[in-house]
Amino acid sequence: MVVLTAICAALYAAILIPFKVVPLIPGITEFRPANAIPVVCSFLFGPAAAWGSALGNLIGDFFGGLGPGDLFGFLANLLYGLVPYAVWEAVTDAPPVPEGPLASLGLLLVMGVAAMLCATVVGWGLHLLGFHPFTVLGTVVLMNNLVVAVVLAPFLLAVLYPRVRRARLLYRDLLGPRRPLPRWRAALGATLVLVGTCTAFAAGELIAGGRWVAPWAAYETASRRLEVGLGLLPLLGLAIVGLALL
Amino acid sequence: MALTLYVAAPTPLHRLHPVTKLGLLAAFVVAAFMVDRPLLLVPLAAVIAVLMVLARALPNVRRLRVMFLLVFFFTLVVWTFFYQSVLVPTYGGFLYGLSTAIRLDTFLATGILFLSTTRVEEVAYALGRLGLPYTMGFTLTLAFRLVPVFFDAALSVVQAQRCRGLEFGRGGVVARLRRFVPVIVPVLIGALRRADRMAMALELRGFNSGRPRTTYLRARAGAADVLAGTLAVATVATYVVLWAAGIGTLAAHP
Repeated sequence: MVVLTAICAALYAAILIPFKVVPLIPGITEFRPANAIPVVCSFLFGPAAAWGSALGNLIGDFFGGLGPGDLFGFLANLLYGLVPYAVWEAVTDAPPVPEGPLASLGLLLVMGVAAMLCATVVGWGLHLLGFHPFTVLGTVVLMNNLVVAVVLAPFLLAVLYPRVRRARLLYRDLLGPRRPLPRWRAALGATLVLVGTCTAFAAGELIAGGRWVAPWAAYETASRRLEVGLGLLPLLGLAIVGLALL
Repeated sequence: MALTLYVAAPTPLHRLHPVTKLGLLAAFVVAAFMVDRPLLLVPLAAVIAVLMVLARALPNVRRLRVMFLLVFFFTLVVWTFFYQSVLVPTYGGFLYGLSTAIRLDTFLATGILFLSTTRVEEVAYALGRLGLPYTMGFTLTLAFRLVPVFFDAALSVVQAQRCRGLEFGRGGVVARLRRFVPVIVPVLIGALRRADRMAMALELRGFNSGRPRTTYLRARAGAADVLAGTLAVATVATYVVLWAAGIGTLAAHP
């Protein structure tokens, strides 16, 4: 798993770095065709891909300068690589390849949730630090993640999954089979991830745009750092609890 | 394309203990967070600029000069238009944007200074000394070493696919993105072959033996580290005092 983590991280970074010259939000994010790698690797290599995404993003930051925002980038990319396999495995035993409309729809939904959770954590963290407003950052990161993952990941999975399965390098081949989760736990976990992610993103947009104040974070700061920071915390907590259940 | 910012130079900053360098990085970041007033951030930026000169890191600043400008102007514009409003410019937003822009450029400069004076092995070593598990540091350094290998592999595949007539620059965004599939697939398959061999090599060398790890890197703290540590503590203390006194906030000094 150590080697697979390093491979995922290096692959992610190797495709991230050349595109550092195409910034969308300077110093924070850029056009990232590499954003398909965490999702694809997540379905193939599970936990190794989650840590690999986080480390790969960190290595990419080594190229453009380190900063406190990278802590949130690390966390966001960890979740971006964690959500796809964790949610998919909890919901179905089917291979994560786009065979048929239901499987394709399921894949798109899981990728969408992963992309949104990643965007929410980056937007939340960097607004909390006062770097950029969630309204701008959350939206840009979500679109960047979503477009690339939805366009590239299904094709890559269709080609790579059968080959990796034949090579017996899928994470279940390496880690061994897992005891099936109780149905209530899988359903509750997946629901919490979905609800927590969507509500956190919506709350971030509304609070940062001055259209809503969370009752548990009814402060009034000029940059809305505290309102966004505390307002999103319980909602992100829901998503994390959901992931812990999976 | 150079894949690292490290500048190999025999300067006192390069010779500092990796943990001290990490401490200095943290100190400058914390100090910059303490104040909002642009005028109070300028001295901190000046100290970092002097350290940059001492570390001979100016070529990296030149290399990333566009990034410095983009970060500054983008932050200034965004906060001017999104401060307590959406797409409505405000003077308060302009001041906050100015402060954040200087702060972000300060972070960028601090990060570049750190990366110009610290090799990735030293970063892993420092993280290990601070209690991070060995496997985490090892994975980071291994991944860092593999980046140029995969980068070269990707370039070779791009050339090969071009020879076969694949045009990467034609069509809309979606069509262009899809042309990355025949590049990513061979690179990933090649990476998996490498992973298999690498895992066997690690096992043969007793990676999972559970014995204490050894390293060729031996860093010792000296008088320079004490001096640097004092500078870090003094910087943080000064900015904490400014924050506690309310001098650093924009509201008190509009």
